[in-house]
Amino acid sequence: MGVFIRIALRNLMQARLRSFFLTVALSLVTMLLVILLGLSQGLTETIVKNATTLASGHLNVAGFFKAKASDANPIVTHRAEVRKAVEESITGVDFIIDRARGWARVVSDVSSMNAGLTGVDAKEESRLFEILQLAKQSEYKEGGSDEVKGDARRLANKNTALIFAAQAKRLEVDVGDKLTVAVETMKGARNTAEFEIVGIARDIGIMSNWSVFTDKASLLELYRLDADVTGAIQIYLDDVDRAPKAMGELRLALEDKGYTVMEHDPRPFWAKFEGVSGEDWTGQRLDLTTWSDEVSFLLWIITAVDSISFVLVGILVVIIAVGIMNSMWMSVRERTPEVGTLRAIGMSRRRVLLMFMLEALILGLVATSLGGAAGAFIARSIDAAHVHVSVDAVRLILMSDTLHLSVGVQQVLTAVIAFTLISGLSALWPAYRASRLQPVTAIQHIG
Amino acid sequence: MRAMPAIVQLQGVHKDYPLGNLVVRALRGVDLTFDKGEFTTVAGPSGSGKTTLLNLVGCVDTATRGTVTVDGASTSALKESKLTELRLRKLGFIFQSFNLIGVLNLFQNVEFPLLLQGGLTKGERESRVRDIVDKVGLTEQMKQRPNELSGGQRQRVAIARALVTRPSIVLADEPTANLDSGTGNAIIDLMKHLNETEHTTFIFSTHDSRVMSRASRIVQLVDGKVVDDGHGHRTGAAAVAPLAEA
Repeated sequence: MGVFIRIALRNLMQARLRSFFLTVALSLVTMLLVILLGLSQGLTETIVKNATTLASGHLNVAGFFKAKASDANPIVTHRAEVRKAVEESITGVDFIIDRARGWARVVSDVSSMNAGLTGVDAKEESRLFEILQLAKQSEYKEGGSDEVKGDARRLANKNTALIFAAQAKRLEVDVGDKLTVAVETMKGARNTAEFEIVGIARDIGIMSNWSVFTDKASLLELYRLDADVTGAIQIYLDDVDRAPKAMGELRLALEDKGYTVMEHDPRPFWAKFEGVSGEDWTGQRLDLTTWSDEVSFLLWIITAVDSISFVLVGILVVIIAVGIMNSMWMSVRERTPEVGTLRAIGMSRRRVLLMFMLEALILGLVATSLGGAAGAFIARSIDAAHVHVSVDAVRLILMSDTLHLSVGVQQVLTAVIAFTLISGLSALWPAYRASRLQPVTAIQHIG
Repeated sequence: MRAMPAIVQLQGVHKDYPLGNLVVRALRGVDLTFDKGEFTTVAGPSGSGKTTLLNLVGCVDTATRGTVTVDGASTSALKESKLTELRLRKLGFIFQSFNLIGVLNLFQNVEFPLLLQGGLTKGERESRVRDIVDKVGLTEQMKQRPNELSGGQRQRVAIARALVTRPSIVLADEPTANLDSGTGNAIIDLMKHLNETEHTTFIFSTHDSRVMSRASRIVQLVDGKVVDDGHGHRTGAAAVAPLAEA
């Protein structure tokens, strides 16, 4: 094999100009693919982070309680008992919290908005407080100072709320101001309460537009629910990728303990109201979901980015493949006498094929490794530079106000392996034709 | 009575090439036998069928009609993979234009057929290559690439490459055509020496009368037919046995 690699390498060096242009082209496409994969991975990470900060655990045990068949109340009764059962049934857990959920009209002195309320127990939310960054006043108030006001940990107090900068801008409120929160209780009555804004956090993408955090006790009181009720038990695993498997295991364990668990429906809880209210049952049923189920309405963004990347890279790959194929045709034509000689001295067809394929594979491997390394470097540099995205629409899509690209070994290896194989495949036909050359034809080509 | 067993036999061999609407009859009913250890030249003017004959014996082409038997195997009955194996194990080629692999140095060019054959350790290959390169007198040029060698030196490398696998038959198509007469003579001397010392059968084509005179047997081809199958100076390995038996 060594001599074939040597021949391939030296032939590539002999056709320097051709090899150089192909290497550059292949490197650039690989670099582009690595950057796009980094963008897609970064987007996924942002969505996971945002989703698991604002709206979901890696795995959720929520459910519906129906006093009568037409109800669809998104609550879990006997919270302590269910949580204990969950804690006993699942392994590989980092931590577990539970949060109340609601939907309310939030009214300030000058404006109002609809928002999803998340009632938190401040004692359990150290991760939330680590991730949320309070905004400078200038970020939500025209002519505001650079002072960061408020303290998210004050959500430990009753009737407190934490909102996001875009909401504060819209409601024209500041830390310390009061918001009136109006909800419809499970029994259909309207109830309102005043909440003091204890912090205004920086926006973290599209989801923070409608998320408001309150203290859990006050939210439950607002809905006239007792303290042993919750919205969802949120489980954070050591490995987020294990969520689907852990969900299956937890389902079996909870069913063994006598709980009724709904069929898996990969949608957020609020998309299930209509279906649940149409079902003919009463009482409590648990509903298990993963983080991706709860933000499935956002996954189109990743699909869109991946599709655009696929089409773009696909077009470039076709161009490169044609380039490699042409180059190999030229190489075969130029080296027909050599093929004839090699066949005459006893080289098999398979080895002739291998010799030409190796040339393309080596070219592919070198070029894609260079491109992969350059792509990883550029992606990491962009990520480290925290490039600010100034266009609101792009910010919403990226779910972040900075460009986040995440490139790991897997992305680089994927690009390198895929393009090296494509390079090899592009050379397959010319190499095959070379291997089928009749020795006498090739020798006569010598003249 | 034959001195040595036949290593190549051609019986009623025809070779036709289509050329547009025409058919070029390169060989027309050739019957020939080459014995082991012979040092034979196939002579004749351009277009007489010399190269075609060597191609058929070298298993790089097949006859239109007739039978070509090389080392006991009828080439028309063999599959491509078996023909390749026959070329690799039994035959050595020396080309008019040397046909060395430009990207490999002298040592690597000569070593290449051994790598294709497999079965030898690196040390055994190295020893075999050094031995044959020494015989062709190019030990000093071992690391040089073909483009750094003279025409005569390149042809010596081609000879070394053809002989390194210790083939039964070496076929040389006008091996001196691209060389000056001095170098050409030296190459023929070398081939003859190897024929005598290694007992390798040499069949080579030429239309150079000076080269022809060095052969132990001259097969004369004209228009695809053998017109003369005479013997020159019967020297070399093939010449020894008949005298001994006589």
